Amino acid sequence: MQKFFSNRRLVIIVVSLVVCFGLMAGSVAVRNKRATPPIIQQFGNDVVGFAGAVIAYPVNAVQGGFDSISELMNAYQENQLLKKQVSDLAQVKVRDQTLAKENQQLKKELKLNNSLTDYTTVTASVLTRTPSSWQNQLVINKGQAAGISKNMPVMSGAGLIGRVSEVNKTNSKVELLSDSNEASNRFAIQISNKQGKTVNGIITGYQKATGQLIMGQVTSKVKITKGSKVITSGMGGVTPKGLYVGKVARVTKDDYGLAKKIYIKPATNFNNINIVTVAELDS
Amino acid sequence: MYRLSRLRYIFPIGLFVAFFLDGSVSKVFSGWLFSYPYSMVSHLVILWLVLAYFFEEDTKIPLVPFAAVTGLIFDLYYSGIIGLFMFLFPLIIALTKALAKYFTPTFLTVIMIFFIDITCLELINYFAYTIIGVVNSSFGDFLIYVLAPTLALNLVYLVVLYLPIRSIFVRAMQQKNS
Repeated sequence: MQKFFSNRRLVIIVVSLVVCFGLMAGSVAVRNKRATPPIIQQFGNDVVGFAGAVIAYPVNAVQGGFDSISELMNAYQENQLLKKQVSDLAQVKVRDQTLAKENQQLKKELKLNNSLTDYTTVTASVLTRTPSSWQNQLVINKGQAAGISKNMPVMSGAGLIGRVSEVNKTNSKVELLSDSNEASNRFAIQISNKQGKTVNGIITGYQKATGQLIMGQVTSKVKITKGSKVITSGMGGVTPKGLYVGKVARVTKDDYGLAKKIYIKPATNFNNINIVTVAELDS
Repeated sequence: MYRLSRLRYIFPIGLFVAFFLDGSVSKVFSGWLFSYPYSMVSHLVILWLVLAYFFEEDTKIPLVPFAAVTGLIFDLYYSGIIGLFMFLFPLIIALTKALAKYFTPTFLTVIMIFFIDITCLELINYFAYTIIGVVNSSFGDFLIYVLAPTLALNLVYLVVLYLPIRSIFVRAMQQKNS
């Protein structure tokens, strides 16, 4: 023990501890404030991302193979179900197209350029996930070069899964809604009931035990029923309006009995994500 | 001796594969590894570094610089918070060296030392991230739901991969001698 804490070693340990916490605090601050990380970090991430593809793509291909085998197993039943939906979908699609066209014309009449529902999407595939129990983060294979910037909402499958937390030139990191970082799931959302009345609010938390999102501090008197659809409201100006989040699972009073607390079941399973879509608000 | 041996190629390649497999395993099996309430963290990089120390014999691999660089890349690419793993990985190597002095390296002592390494890694990771505010879970939850499953997963890795990795190292050394 005498030897272990010799003078030189003690100095080295103290210095590296200081540097360690300095760097960590610095990078957290940079992450919270700046739109992009320092150029060296970006460059490093791009290089590592390219190298990582050597491992990530074969592994993903194997996973894709297994997935498609398991999908093949229940393809028949799914096919029958889907056939019924397809005929409905065709109608909806045609109606959607006419409505979109009409919407465009009306906007032109009003001289409105872009509203909150106009957004373009970038599709990216997931390279890896952070091997950590604290950070639920994915690395995707598109970055600044594809037009992605920080804080853009990310969707997968049916609904919203998170937001872009760090952008490099050719890859970026996505923080899932289930991440323990509190800023990761603050999305402005709205719920409409059958009478067409809406309740606005933000996602205030994530309940790990049930995998449900929480919309807290709702003081509105509007009656929300189980199964109502939840979409992003577009307030705040970064997230487009109308991204699907999930369905209301239950409505309770909060701890003090004054406001409502709404639990939302997300539309996508956060633990099986291969392809994501990043939504970019037109401006 | 490291410059002359075949390990000069094999060790960095193994490190590279282990590094990216950590992420890929976490992604592909995320449904199992991170199913509530348990979360298991894959530490193949640590496994490779620690086993390299035990199997290197007289080939002195510069493990500490390798660990530092890998840790830095880990911080940059995976977590985005720089400064933890670039010090933690070399620290784990130093800890392994310090512990290995007191034991003859058999399978059981390697398991034990690896066990201590992973425990220290996860503990320091937890405390450091708590201080900078990334983590907000209680220590008890951490012990039961993170540390224990992580140890279990990594011990399975060790038991399964011990012999294959040893044979890789043995083969690399043989070709050096002939």
